[in-house]
Amino acid sequence: MKERRIVVTGLGVIAPNGIGKDAFWHALKEGQSGIKRVKRFDTSQFKSKLAGEIDNFSPAVFLGHKGLRDLERTSRLLCSAAKLAIEDAGLSINHDNTDDIGVCTGTTLSSLWNFAQFDKETIQEGPLFTNVALFPGTVMNAASSQVSIRFNIQGFNTTISNGYSSSIDALKYAIDFIKLRRIKAVLVGGVESLSLVNYSGFYRLGFFAGINGEEVSCPFDKRRNGIILGEGAAVVIIEDEEYARSRNARIYAEVNGIGNCFEAYKMGKYHPGANGLKESIKEALRTSGIGPSDIDYISASANSVREQDRLETMAIKGVFGKYAYNIPVSSIKSMIGETFSAGGLFQISASIGSMYKGFIPPTINYEMTDEDCDLDYVANKSRLTRINNVLINNYGPGGSNAAFILSKGH
Amino acid sequence: MSKNYEEEIRNMVSDILEIPAEKLTPDADFFRDLNIDSLKAIEIVAAFEKKYRIIIPEQDIPKIRNLRQVVEYTAPLKKETHI
Repeated sequence: MKERRIVVTGLGVIAPNGIGKDAFWHALKEGQSGIKRVKRFDTSQFKSKLAGEIDNFSPAVFLGHKGLRDLERTSRLLCSAAKLAIEDAGLSINHDNTDDIGVCTGTTLSSLWNFAQFDKETIQEGPLFTNVALFPGTVMNAASSQVSIRFNIQGFNTTISNGYSSSIDALKYAIDFIKLRRIKAVLVGGVESLSLVNYSGFYRLGFFAGINGEEVSCPFDKRRNGIILGEGAAVVIIEDEEYARSRNARIYAEVNGIGNCFEAYKMGKYHPGANGLKESIKEALRTSGIGPSDIDYISASANSVREQDRLETMAIKGVFGKYAYNIPVSSIKSMIGETFSAGGLFQISASIGSMYKGFIPPTINYEMTDEDCDLDYVANKSRLTRINNVLINNYGPGGSNAAFILSKGH
Repeated sequence: MSKNYEEEIRNMVSDILEIPAEKLTPDADFFRDLNIDSLKAIEIVAAFEKKYRIIIPEQDIPKIRNLRQVVEYTAPLKKETHI
Protein backbone atom coordinates (compact mmCIF):
# COMPACT_ATOMS: atom_id res chain seq x y z
CA MET A 1 0.00 0.00 0.00
CA LYS A 2 1.37 3.41 -0.97
CA GLU A 3 2.26 5.45 2.09
CA ARG A 4 0.20 8.54 2.49
CA ARG A 5 1.79 11.95 2.32
CA ILE A 6 0.72 14.26 5.07
CA VAL A 7 0.55 18.04 4.88
CA VAL A 8 0.01 20.97 7.20
CA THR A 9 -2.87 23.18 6.11
CA GLY A 10 -3.79 25.33 9.09
CA LEU A 11 -2.28 27.00 12.07
CA GLY A 12 -3.56 28.76 15.19
CA VAL A 13 -1.31 30.30 17.82
CA ILE A 14 -1.92 31.98 21.15
CA ALA A 15 1.64 32.77 22.26
CA PRO A 16 3.15 35.02 24.92
CA ASN A 17 4.66 37.23 22.20
CA GLY A 18 1.80 37.19 19.72
CA ILE A 19 -1.79 36.11 19.31
CA GLY A 20 -2.54 34.74 15.87
CA LYS A 21 0.05 33.42 13.42
CA ASP A 22 0.86 36.78 11.84
CA ALA A 23 1.52 38.51 15.16
CA PHE A 24 3.54 35.50 16.33
CA TRP A 25 5.66 35.35 13.18
CA HIS A 26 6.18 39.10 13.24
CA ALA A 27 7.34 39.00 16.88
CA LEU A 28 9.74 36.14 16.13
CA LYS A 29 11.17 37.90 13.13
CA GLU A 30 11.71 41.08 15.13
CA GLY A 31 13.12 39.21 18.12
CA GLN A 32 10.31 40.42 20.39
CA SER A 33 10.01 38.63 23.69
CA GLY A 34 6.76 37.82 25.49
CA ILE A 35 8.56 37.32 28.78
CA LYS A 36 7.68 39.84 31.50
CA ARG A 37 6.76 40.15 35.16
CA VAL A 38 3.99 37.79 36.19
CA LYS A 39 0.64 39.52 36.73
CA ARG A 40 -1.65 36.59 37.41
CA PHE A 41 -0.33 35.76 40.86
CA ASP A 42 1.94 37.17 43.52
CA THR A 43 5.59 36.29 43.02
CA SER A 44 6.92 38.25 45.99
CA GLN A 45 8.01 35.11 47.80
CA PHE A 46 10.02 33.84 44.83
CA LYS A 47 13.40 35.10 43.72
CA SER A 48 12.12 34.68 40.16
CA LYS A 49 9.50 37.11 38.92
CA LEU A 50 9.16 36.51 35.18
CA ALA A 51 7.14 34.30 32.86
CA GLY A 52 5.92 34.09 29.30
CA GLU A 53 2.44 34.99 30.46
CA ILE A 54 -0.35 35.81 28.03
CA ASP A 55 -2.00 38.80 29.62
CA ASN A 56 -3.86 40.31 26.68
CA PHE A 57 -5.93 37.27 25.77
CA SER A 58 -9.68 37.67 25.43
CA PRO A 59 -11.24 34.29 24.61
CA ALA A 60 -14.62 35.84 23.76
CA VAL A 61 -12.99 37.38 20.68
CA PHE A 62 -12.46 33.88 19.30
CA LEU A 63 -15.19 31.85 20.97
CA GLY A 64 -18.01 34.28 21.78
CA HIS A 65 -19.38 34.65 25.30
CA LYS A 66 -21.72 31.66 25.33
CA GLY A 67 -20.18 28.62 26.95
CA LEU A 68 -17.06 30.42 28.20
CA ARG A 69 -18.20 29.92 31.76
CA ASP A 70 -17.65 26.18 31.32
CA LEU A 71 -14.13 26.53 29.97
CA GLU A 72 -11.21 26.82 32.33
CA ARG A 73 -8.15 28.72 31.15
CA THR A 74 -6.36 25.86 29.40
CA SER A 75 -9.48 24.95 27.42
CA ARG A 76 -9.98 28.60 26.50
CA LEU A 77 -6.44 28.81 25.17
CA LEU A 78 -6.65 25.56 23.21
CA CYS A 79 -10.15 26.16 21.83
CA SER A 80 -9.12 29.65 20.69
CA ALA A 81 -6.04 28.29 18.93
CA ALA A 82 -8.17 25.53 17.37
CA LYS A 83 -10.67 28.08 16.10
CA LEU A 84 -7.87 30.05 14.46
CA ALA A 85 -6.42 26.87 12.93
CA ILE A 86 -9.77 25.71 11.54
CA GLU A 87 -10.35 29.11 9.95
CA ASP A 88 -6.79 29.25 8.66
CA ALA A 89 -7.19 25.85 7.01
CA GLY A 90 -10.56 26.79 5.54
CA LEU A 91 -11.82 23.53 6.99
CA SER A 92 -15.57 23.23 7.14
CA ILE A 93 -16.54 20.59 9.70
CA ASN A 94 -19.90 19.12 8.87
CA HIS A 95 -22.01 15.98 8.97
CA ASP A 96 -20.14 14.47 6.00
CA ASN A 97 -16.58 14.79 7.30
CA THR A 98 -16.82 15.04 11.09
CA ASP A 99 -16.02 11.35 11.62
CA ASP A 100 -12.87 11.75 9.51
CA ILE A 101 -11.39 14.48 11.71
CA GLY A 102 -9.59 13.85 14.99
CA VAL A 103 -8.02 15.84 17.80
CA CYS A 104 -4.73 15.02 19.48
CA THR A 105 -3.25 17.25 22.15
CA GLY A 106 -0.03 17.39 24.08
CA THR A 107 -0.35 18.76 27.59
CA THR A 108 0.94 17.77 30.99
CA LEU A 109 0.59 20.48 33.62
CA SER A 110 -2.60 22.09 32.41
CA SER A 111 -5.04 20.54 34.85
CA LEU A 112 -2.88 21.08 37.94
CA TRP A 113 -4.42 24.40 38.88
CA ASN A 114 -8.00 23.18 38.39
CA PHE A 115 -7.26 20.14 40.46
CA ALA A 116 -5.73 22.29 43.18
CA GLN A 117 -8.79 24.54 43.23
CA PHE A 118 -11.20 21.63 43.48
CA ASP A 119 -9.10 20.02 46.15
CA LYS A 120 -8.90 23.22 48.15
CA GLU A 121 -12.70 23.54 48.13
CA THR A 122 -13.16 19.96 49.17
CA ILE A 123 -10.96 20.56 52.19
CA GLN A 124 -12.28 24.01 53.05
CA GLU A 125 -16.00 23.54 52.33
CA GLY A 126 -16.38 19.86 53.03
CA PRO A 127 -16.85 17.05 50.53
CA LEU A 128 -20.57 17.69 49.99
CA PHE A 129 -20.20 21.36 49.15
CA THR A 130 -17.57 21.44 46.45
CA ASN A 131 -18.14 23.45 43.28
CA VAL A 132 -19.11 20.74 40.83
CA ALA A 133 -18.43 23.05 37.88
CA LEU A 134 -14.70 22.83 38.65
CA PHE A 135 -14.59 19.05 38.41
CA PRO A 136 -14.62 18.54 34.60
CA GLY A 137 -11.51 20.75 34.34
CA THR A 138 -9.51 18.60 36.74
CA VAL A 139 -8.75 15.93 34.17
CA MET A 140 -5.79 16.00 31.82
CA ASN A 141 -7.91 15.57 28.69
CA ALA A 142 -10.31 18.42 29.49
CA ALA A 143 -8.93 20.92 26.99
CA SER A 144 -8.65 18.43 24.13
CA SER A 145 -12.19 17.21 24.74
CA GLN A 146 -13.54 20.74 24.78
CA VAL A 147 -12.12 21.27 21.29
CA SER A 148 -14.07 18.29 19.96
CA ILE A 149 -17.23 19.37 21.77
CA ARG A 150 -17.05 23.00 20.67
CA PHE A 151 -16.31 22.30 17.02
CA ASN A 152 -18.39 19.11 16.80
CA ILE A 153 -15.48 16.89 15.83
CA GLN A 154 -16.52 13.26 16.05
CA GLY A 155 -13.26 11.48 15.19
CA PHE A 156 -10.78 10.26 17.80
CA ASN A 157 -9.70 12.48 20.66
CA THR A 158 -6.48 11.73 22.51
CA THR A 159 -4.31 13.55 25.00
CA ILE A 160 -0.62 12.75 25.15
CA SER A 161 0.94 13.70 28.42
CA ASN A 162 4.60 12.85 28.66
CA GLY A 163 6.27 16.08 29.57
CA TYR A 164 8.53 18.11 27.31
CA SER A 165 8.00 16.14 24.12
CA SER A 166 4.21 15.75 24.45
CA SER A 167 3.17 17.80 21.48
CA ILE A 168 5.61 16.20 19.03
CA ASP A 169 4.55 12.82 20.37
CA ALA A 170 0.94 13.90 19.84
CA LEU A 171 1.90 14.77 16.27
CA LYS A 172 3.43 11.33 15.79
CA TYR A 173 0.28 9.69 17.10
CA ALA A 174 -1.81 11.75 14.67
CA ILE A 175 0.52 10.97 11.75
CA ASP A 176 0.22 7.26 12.46
CA PHE A 177 -3.58 7.52 12.50
CA ILE A 178 -3.56 9.14 9.07
CA LYS A 179 -1.02 6.66 7.69
CA LEU A 180 -3.17 3.78 8.92
CA ARG A 181 -6.06 5.36 7.01
CA ARG A 182 -8.17 5.66 10.09
CA ILE A 183 -8.63 9.42 9.81
CA LYS A 184 -8.16 12.11 7.15
CA ALA A 185 -7.36 15.21 9.17
CA VAL A 186 -6.23 15.90 12.73
CA LEU A 187 -6.08 19.03 14.85
CA VAL A 188 -2.78 18.55 16.64
CA GLY A 189 -2.42 20.82 19.63
CA GLY A 190 -0.09 21.71 22.42
CA VAL A 191 -1.17 23.69 25.45
CA GLU A 192 0.00 24.67 28.90
CA SER A 193 -1.29 27.38 31.18
CA LEU A 194 0.64 29.27 33.78
CA SER A 195 -0.46 28.96 37.38
CA LEU A 196 0.91 29.49 40.84
CA VAL A 197 1.05 25.71 41.27
CA ASN A 198 3.30 24.92 38.31
CA TYR A 199 5.35 28.07 38.90
CA SER A 200 5.93 26.94 42.47
CA GLY A 201 6.73 23.36 41.41
CA PHE A 202 9.42 24.28 38.90
CA TYR A 203 10.79 26.91 41.25
CA ARG A 204 11.09 24.51 44.15
CA LEU A 205 12.83 21.99 41.89
CA GLY A 206 15.44 24.68 41.28
CA PHE A 207 14.69 24.83 37.55
CA PHE A 208 14.09 28.55 37.31
CA ALA A 209 16.40 31.23 36.02
CA GLY A 210 17.02 33.83 38.69
CA ILE A 211 17.57 31.42 41.56
CA ASN A 212 21.29 31.22 40.90
CA GLY A 213 22.08 33.97 38.45
CA GLU A 214 20.47 36.51 36.20
CA GLU A 215 16.77 35.97 35.49
CA VAL A 216 16.89 35.74 31.72
CA SER A 217 16.05 33.15 29.09
CA CYS A 218 19.32 33.03 27.15
CA PRO A 219 19.69 29.62 25.50
CA PHE A 220 23.29 28.60 24.65
CA ASP A 221 24.67 31.71 26.42
CA LYS A 222 27.23 31.14 29.12
CA ARG A 223 25.03 33.04 31.64
CA ARG A 224 22.18 30.56 31.32
CA ASN A 225 20.96 29.25 34.66
CA GLY A 226 17.44 27.94 34.24
CA ILE A 227 14.10 28.22 32.51
CA ILE A 228 11.54 30.96 32.45
CA LEU A 229 8.15 29.32 32.33
CA GLY A 230 5.80 30.14 29.45
CA GLU A 231 2.22 29.34 28.53
CA GLY A 232 -0.01 29.24 25.52
CA ALA A 233 -1.57 27.06 22.88
CA ALA A 234 -0.76 26.16 19.32
CA VAL A 235 -2.78 23.98 16.97
CA VAL A 236 -1.82 22.77 13.51
CA ILE A 237 -4.10 20.93 11.15
CA ILE A 238 -2.48 18.04 9.38
CA GLU A 239 -4.22 16.17 6.60
CA ASP A 240 -3.83 13.35 4.22
CA GLU A 241 -2.49 15.14 1.12
CA GLU A 242 -5.20 13.73 -1.15
CA TYR A 243 -7.87 14.99 1.19
CA ALA A 244 -6.26 18.43 1.39
CA ARG A 245 -5.99 18.63 -2.40
CA SER A 246 -9.57 17.43 -2.86
CA ARG A 247 -10.77 20.46 -0.93
CA ASN A 248 -8.24 22.83 -2.55
CA ALA A 249 -6.58 23.60 0.77
CA ARG A 250 -3.51 25.79 0.93
CA ILE A 251 -0.55 23.61 1.85
CA TYR A 252 1.95 25.18 4.22
CA ALA A 253 4.37 22.31 4.53
CA GLU A 254 4.80 18.61 4.36
CA VAL A 255 5.09 16.44 7.43
CA ASN A 256 8.30 14.60 6.84
CA GLY A 257 10.36 12.37 9.16
CA ILE A 258 9.66 11.93 12.83
CA GLY A 259 11.35 10.01 15.59
CA ASN A 260 10.88 9.64 19.30
CA CYS A 261 12.66 7.79 22.02
CA PHE A 262 12.20 7.43 25.75
CA GLU A 263 15.49 7.28 27.55
CA ALA A 264 14.95 5.90 31.01
CA TYR A 265 17.40 7.45 33.44
CA LYS A 266 17.19 9.21 36.81
CA MET A 267 14.14 11.29 37.64
CA GLY A 268 14.60 14.91 36.56
CA LYS A 269 18.17 14.30 35.34
CA TYR A 270 19.57 14.54 31.86
CA HIS A 271 21.21 11.45 30.46
CA PRO A 272 24.85 12.54 30.07
CA GLY A 273 25.11 11.03 26.59
CA ALA A 274 21.90 12.59 25.20
CA ASN A 275 21.47 9.32 23.35
CA GLY A 276 17.70 9.62 23.32
CA LEU A 277 17.80 12.90 21.43
CA LYS A 278 20.47 11.60 19.04
CA GLU A 279 18.39 8.52 18.28
CA SER A 280 15.27 10.63 17.75
CA ILE A 281 17.08 12.90 15.28
CA LYS A 282 18.53 9.88 13.42
CA GLU A 283 15.09 8.29 13.25
CA ALA A 284 13.56 11.54 11.98
CA LEU A 285 16.22 11.73 9.25
CA ARG A 286 15.89 8.05 8.37
CA THR A 287 12.10 8.33 7.95
CA SER A 288 12.30 11.60 6.02
CA GLY A 289 14.06 10.53 2.88
CA ILE A 290 16.35 13.57 3.00
CA GLY A 291 20.01 13.71 3.98
CA PRO A 292 21.64 15.61 6.85
CA SER A 293 22.90 18.30 4.49
CA ASP A 294 19.34 19.06 3.39
CA ILE A 295 18.49 20.46 6.81
CA ASP A 296 18.45 24.26 6.48
CA TYR A 297 17.68 25.12 10.06
CA ILE A 298 17.34 23.45 13.46
CA SER A 299 14.66 24.71 15.82
CA ALA A 300 16.21 23.84 19.15
CA SER A 301 14.67 22.66 22.36
CA ALA A 302 17.30 24.61 24.30
CA ASN A 303 15.65 26.37 27.21
CA SER A 304 18.52 28.14 28.98
CA VAL A 305 19.19 25.24 31.34
CA ARG A 306 22.94 24.63 31.59
CA GLU A 307 22.82 20.92 30.81
CA GLN A 308 19.98 20.99 28.31
CA ASP A 309 21.61 23.44 25.90
CA ARG A 310 25.03 21.83 26.16
CA LEU A 311 23.62 18.35 25.55
CA GLU A 312 21.50 19.45 22.62
CA THR A 313 24.57 21.02 21.03
CA MET A 314 26.42 17.76 21.66
CA ALA A 315 23.60 15.68 20.18
CA ILE A 316 23.45 17.84 17.04
CA LYS A 317 27.21 17.48 16.57
CA GLY A 318 26.94 13.76 17.31
CA VAL A 319 24.49 13.27 14.45
CA PHE A 320 25.66 15.86 11.91
CA GLY A 321 29.40 15.77 12.62
CA LYS A 322 31.34 18.76 11.27
CA TYR A 323 28.38 19.69 9.09
CA ALA A 324 26.63 20.84 12.29
CA TYR A 325 28.67 24.06 12.08
CA ASN A 326 26.95 24.90 8.78
CA ILE A 327 23.41 24.63 10.12
CA PRO A 328 21.79 27.62 11.83
CA VAL A 329 20.30 26.61 15.19
CA SER A 330 18.02 28.85 17.25
CA SER A 331 15.72 28.64 20.22
CA ILE A 332 12.44 30.52 20.29
CA LYS A 333 12.28 29.77 24.02
CA SER A 334 14.43 32.87 24.40
CA MET A 335 11.27 34.78 23.42
CA ILE A 336 8.36 32.72 24.75
CA GLY A 337 9.92 30.82 27.65
CA GLU A 338 9.65 27.11 28.34
CA THR A 339 6.10 26.17 27.45
CA PHE A 340 6.75 22.55 28.35
CA SER A 341 4.31 20.24 26.58
CA ALA A 342 3.29 22.96 24.14
CA GLY A 343 6.89 23.74 23.18
CA GLY A 344 7.08 21.44 20.17
CA LEU A 345 3.93 22.86 18.63
CA PHE A 346 5.20 26.42 19.09
CA GLN A 347 8.42 25.39 17.36
CA ILE A 348 6.41 23.90 14.48
CA SER A 349 4.26 27.03 14.25
CA ALA A 350 7.37 29.19 14.19
CA SER A 351 9.04 26.96 11.60
CA ILE A 352 6.05 27.19 9.28
CA GLY A 353 6.56 30.97 9.47
CA SER A 354 10.24 30.45 8.70
CA MET A 355 9.37 28.59 5.52
CA TYR A 356 6.49 30.78 4.54
CA LYS A 357 8.12 34.14 5.24
CA GLY A 358 11.77 33.15 4.67
CA PHE A 359 13.43 33.92 7.98
CA ILE A 360 15.13 32.17 10.87
CA PRO A 361 14.00 33.45 14.27
CA PRO A 362 16.89 34.55 16.47
CA THR A 363 18.07 33.29 19.81
CA ILE A 364 17.70 36.54 21.70
CA ASN A 365 19.55 37.57 24.87
CA TYR A 366 22.68 35.97 23.48
CA GLU A 367 25.71 37.84 24.82
CA MET A 368 28.35 35.53 26.24
CA THR A 369 29.74 32.60 24.27
CA ASP A 370 30.24 29.26 25.92
CA GLU A 371 32.90 26.82 24.70
CA ASP A 372 30.43 23.94 25.13
CA CYS A 373 27.91 25.60 22.86
CA ASP A 374 29.76 26.55 19.69
CA LEU A 375 27.25 26.29 16.84
CA ASP A 376 25.64 29.07 14.84
CA TYR A 377 22.81 30.18 17.13
CA VAL A 378 21.45 33.05 15.00
CA ALA A 379 22.23 35.43 17.83
CA ASN A 380 19.83 38.28 18.56
CA LYS A 381 18.78 39.09 15.00
CA SER A 382 16.65 37.03 12.66
CA ARG A 383 18.20 35.94 9.41
CA LEU A 384 16.48 36.21 6.05
CA THR A 385 16.95 33.05 4.05
CA ARG A 386 15.08 30.38 2.15
CA ILE A 387 14.13 27.38 4.28
CA ASN A 388 13.11 24.08 2.75
CA ASN A 389 13.63 21.63 5.61
CA VAL A 390 13.55 22.28 9.34
CA LEU A 391 14.56 19.88 12.07
CA ILE A 392 12.63 20.45 15.28
CA ASN A 393 14.09 19.02 18.48
CA ASN A 394 12.08 18.43 21.59
CA TYR A 395 13.42 17.03 24.82
CA GLY A 396 13.97 17.60 28.50
CA PRO A 397 15.17 15.97 31.68
CA GLY A 398 12.10 13.71 31.91
CA GLY A 399 13.54 11.14 29.50
CA SER A 400 11.20 11.82 26.59
CA ASN A 401 12.81 12.89 23.32
CA ALA A 402 11.36 13.68 19.92
CA ALA A 403 12.56 15.09 16.63
CA PHE A 404 10.54 16.10 13.63
CA ILE A 405 11.34 17.27 10.11
CA LEU A 406 9.04 19.70 8.42
CA SER A 407 9.55 20.27 4.69
CA LYS A 408 8.28 22.90 2.34
CA GLY A 409 5.11 21.87 0.55
CA HIS A 410 5.44 21.12 -3.11
CA MET B 1 -41.15 34.51 49.89
CA SER B 2 -39.24 37.74 49.49
CA LYS B 3 -38.72 39.42 46.19
CA ASN B 4 -35.05 39.70 47.04
CA TYR B 5 -34.68 35.97 47.43
CA GLU B 6 -36.37 35.37 44.08
CA GLU B 7 -34.03 37.86 42.45
CA GLU B 8 -31.03 36.22 44.05
CA ILE B 9 -32.08 32.82 42.76
CA ARG B 10 -32.79 34.21 39.31
CA ASN B 11 -29.35 35.76 39.12
CA MET B 12 -27.64 32.60 40.30
CA VAL B 13 -29.45 30.40 37.79
CA SER B 14 -29.06 32.84 34.92
CA ASP B 15 -25.36 33.02 35.61
CA ILE B 16 -25.02 29.24 35.42
CA LEU B 17 -27.18 28.94 32.32
CA GLU B 18 -25.52 31.95 30.67
CA ILE B 19 -28.83 33.56 29.76
CA PRO B 20 -29.92 37.09 30.68
CA ALA B 21 -31.86 37.21 33.98
CA GLU B 22 -34.82 38.87 32.27
CA LYS B 23 -35.19 35.92 29.93
CA LEU B 24 -35.45 33.53 32.84
CA THR B 25 -39.20 33.68 33.38
CA PRO B 26 -40.64 31.88 36.43
CA ASP B 27 -42.31 29.17 34.34
CA ALA B 28 -39.71 28.54 31.61
CA ASP B 29 -38.95 24.81 31.74
CA PHE B 30 -35.21 24.26 32.16
CA PHE B 31 -35.09 21.24 29.90
CA ARG B 32 -37.85 21.88 27.37
CA ASP B 33 -37.64 25.66 26.99
CA LEU B 34 -34.09 26.48 27.99
CA ASN B 35 -32.47 23.36 26.60
CA ILE B 36 -30.12 22.74 29.53
CA ASP B 37 -28.27 19.47 29.94
CA SER B 38 -28.02 17.24 32.98
CA LEU B 39 -24.59 18.61 33.94
CA LYS B 40 -26.03 22.13 34.13
CA ALA B 41 -28.92 20.81 36.24
CA ILE B 42 -26.46 19.25 38.66
CA GLU B 43 -24.50 22.48 38.71
CA ILE B 44 -27.62 24.47 39.68
CA VAL B 45 -28.40 22.00 42.47
CA ALA B 46 -24.80 21.99 43.67
CA ALA B 47 -24.64 25.79 43.68
CA PHE B 48 -27.69 25.90 45.98
CA GLU B 49 -26.35 23.24 48.23
CA LYS B 50 -23.07 25.07 48.54
CA LYS B 51 -24.49 28.54 49.05
CA TYR B 52 -27.15 27.61 51.60
CA ARG B 53 -25.40 24.57 53.10
CA ILE B 54 -28.42 22.37 52.38
CA ILE B 55 -28.63 18.93 50.80
CA ILE B 56 -31.32 18.44 48.19
CA PRO B 57 -32.37 14.76 48.10
CA GLU B 58 -31.74 13.20 44.72
CA GLN B 59 -35.36 12.07 44.27
CA ASP B 60 -36.50 15.71 44.51
CA ILE B 61 -34.25 17.01 41.75
CA PRO B 62 -36.46 15.98 38.80
CA LYS B 63 -39.38 17.84 40.39
CA ILE B 64 -37.60 21.16 40.09
CA ARG B 65 -37.96 22.18 36.47
CA ASN B 66 -38.37 25.93 36.47
CA LEU B 67 -37.41 29.00 38.42
CA ARG B 68 -40.70 29.16 40.33
CA GLN B 69 -40.24 25.56 41.51
CA VAL B 70 -36.64 26.31 42.52
CA VAL B 71 -37.76 29.24 44.66
CA GLU B 72 -40.71 27.34 46.17
CA TYR B 73 -38.59 24.32 46.94
CA THR B 74 -35.56 26.08 48.39
CA ALA B 75 -37.20 28.92 50.37
CA PRO B 76 -38.35 26.69 53.27
CA LEU B 77 -35.03 24.83 53.34
CA LYS B 78 -33.22 28.10 53.51
CA LYS B 79 -35.40 29.18 56.46
CA GLU B 80 -34.64 25.96 58.29
CA THR B 81 -30.97 26.61 58.03
CA HIS B 82 -31.48 30.16 59.46
CA ILE B 83 -29.10 31.65 56.96
